Amino acid sequence: MGEKKIYSKLGEVIAKGDFVLTGELEPEKTCDLSHTIQEAKEMAPYVVAANVTDSPLGIVTINSMAVSHIIQKETGLECVWQLTVRDVNKLGIAGMIMGGHALGLRNILSLTGDHPNMGDMPESKPVFDLDSATLIKLVREMVDKGSINGHEIEHPPTLHVGGAANPNADPMEAEILKIGRKAEAGAEFIQTQVVYDIDRTIEFLKGIQKYKVPVMLGIFPMKSYGMAKGFDMFVPGVDVPKDILAKWKSVKTDITDKKEQKNVYDQLNYEFFKPFISELKSKNLLAGVHCMAVHYTRIFPKLVEVIGA
Amino acid sequence: MVVITTKKPVDEVLNILKENDVKSLVVVSCGVCAALCQTGGTEGLKEWTEILENEGFEVLTGIVSDDVCDNRVMMKDLRKIDDSVKEADAILTLSCGLGVQSIVQVLSKKYPNKKVFVTNNTEFMGMTERIGRFRMRCLGCGDCLLNETGGICPITTCAKALMNGPCGGMVDGKCEVGNYERDCGWVLIFNRLKAIGRLDLFSKLREPRNWSDSGHQREVIFR
Repeated sequence: MGEKKIYSKLGEVIAKGDFVLTGELEPEKTCDLSHTIQEAKEMAPYVVAANVTDSPLGIVTINSMAVSHIIQKETGLECVWQLTVRDVNKLGIAGMIMGGHALGLRNILSLTGDHPNMGDMPESKPVFDLDSATLIKLVREMVDKGSINGHEIEHPPTLHVGGAANPNADPMEAEILKIGRKAEAGAEFIQTQVVYDIDRTIEFLKGIQKYKVPVMLGIFPMKSYGMAKGFDMFVPGVDVPKDILAKWKSVKTDITDKKEQKNVYDQLNYEFFKPFISELKSKNLLAGVHCMAVHYTRIFPKLVEVIGA
Repeated sequence: MVVITTKKPVDEVLNILKENDVKSLVVVSCGVCAALCQTGGTEGLKEWTEILENEGFEVLTGIVSDDVCDNRVMMKDLRKIDDSVKEADAILTLSCGLGVQSIVQVLSKKYPNKKVFVTNNTEFMGMTERIGRFRMRCLGCGDCLLNETGGICPITTCAKALMNGPCGGMVDGKCEVGNYERDCGWVLIFNRLKAIGRLDLFSKLREPRNWSDSGHQREVIFR
């Protein structure tokens, strides 16, 4: 974030050039946040901040702005408020950005959001008045110029805004040029989709290096074979490599002791991600790692070792 | 260009006629777009006349009109069958939504209480690949981007109508909406702009669509 103003702990750590680890919280269709709060407390000692998802896969969950606020208030863990352009028009989103600031939120991850058609309310109107790049531009106008559409905001919000990237995207060139647009719009950081293919990841990260936006690599340590398989099947744009799936499957079938199974899964994740991250770090392609493994907080001490390598 | 229509379920139409206590009808069938979509024309008129008569409705007159959506044509055609129009409880039109509203408007002075119903759903303004295969490729947004997107419209080919795609829902050039069976509009645009050596246009950050002029009752009046 260069010499720009710093509004959050995440902004501060990135600006300092320290390697960042962020986590992810995925609230569900519930008004009781005790599980999410518990997970936030468990990951808090290890991460700089945690993303809070906004109805991923178009499946409606409790609102991410509200959850981000409650997590920050209840646990002290800083949140990266995921905000999609799927459900609210430009006018509404501008209001939400001011509301988010007033609730103490200081980081936004701008996302398109999965189409309602994918989720559990497919008859909902898909809004997409903005897109993920123009939302970034709107936030930056509000923060840096203190205006919306040229109209002055009495007390402007102060937040950082980042965008997403998908190194798995094919054609990759289109995705790289798209990141160029997000950089032009004013993205202050990039968090990537989950990756497993090191060569592809290197090619992509080198491709977007010219835009000079700090990149946090999305990883998904897999808690169990079921989790790995589900992730492979249901998350658009991500394929878990077959050899990994086979390894995880063998843990499930060959080891009967649950405690031992857990240890082996943790160790396998460590063994896969350590050389992966080390190589990217050694090439100076990363500002940090964003771990999307929800409900797998016990992996964080090991992840700290992974990224510290 | 054709306004693409599909048939409403017959029962839906019959129920609405019964609900409105309709006994006698004039049937107006579109001889152009609806004929092409096989939801109107001579065949449609014959089909609906039979359905209605079998259900006990009285069809006073049935006509095929070349431009149901053109107020001038409709005025002339309806004048020719004025006696039936006057007597009928309702007009049933085998056309798109424009046809229905054209008839309502044309009759508004002389027969302001005349009921007009439609047998079709209007799908979109379509491009004809062949009969029975129509594609929505233009939404009539009023601010055409085609000169900048290689002649492929993001508003209609992108499921989210994004101005800066593709989004994360694109996998191997396909769109998440519809189980990855359809091409991602923005990948089509990327490939086309690459082929014509204009990736600079792809890299451009585009402003959100301006909705301020897209309010209700859009019209074009030039004289």
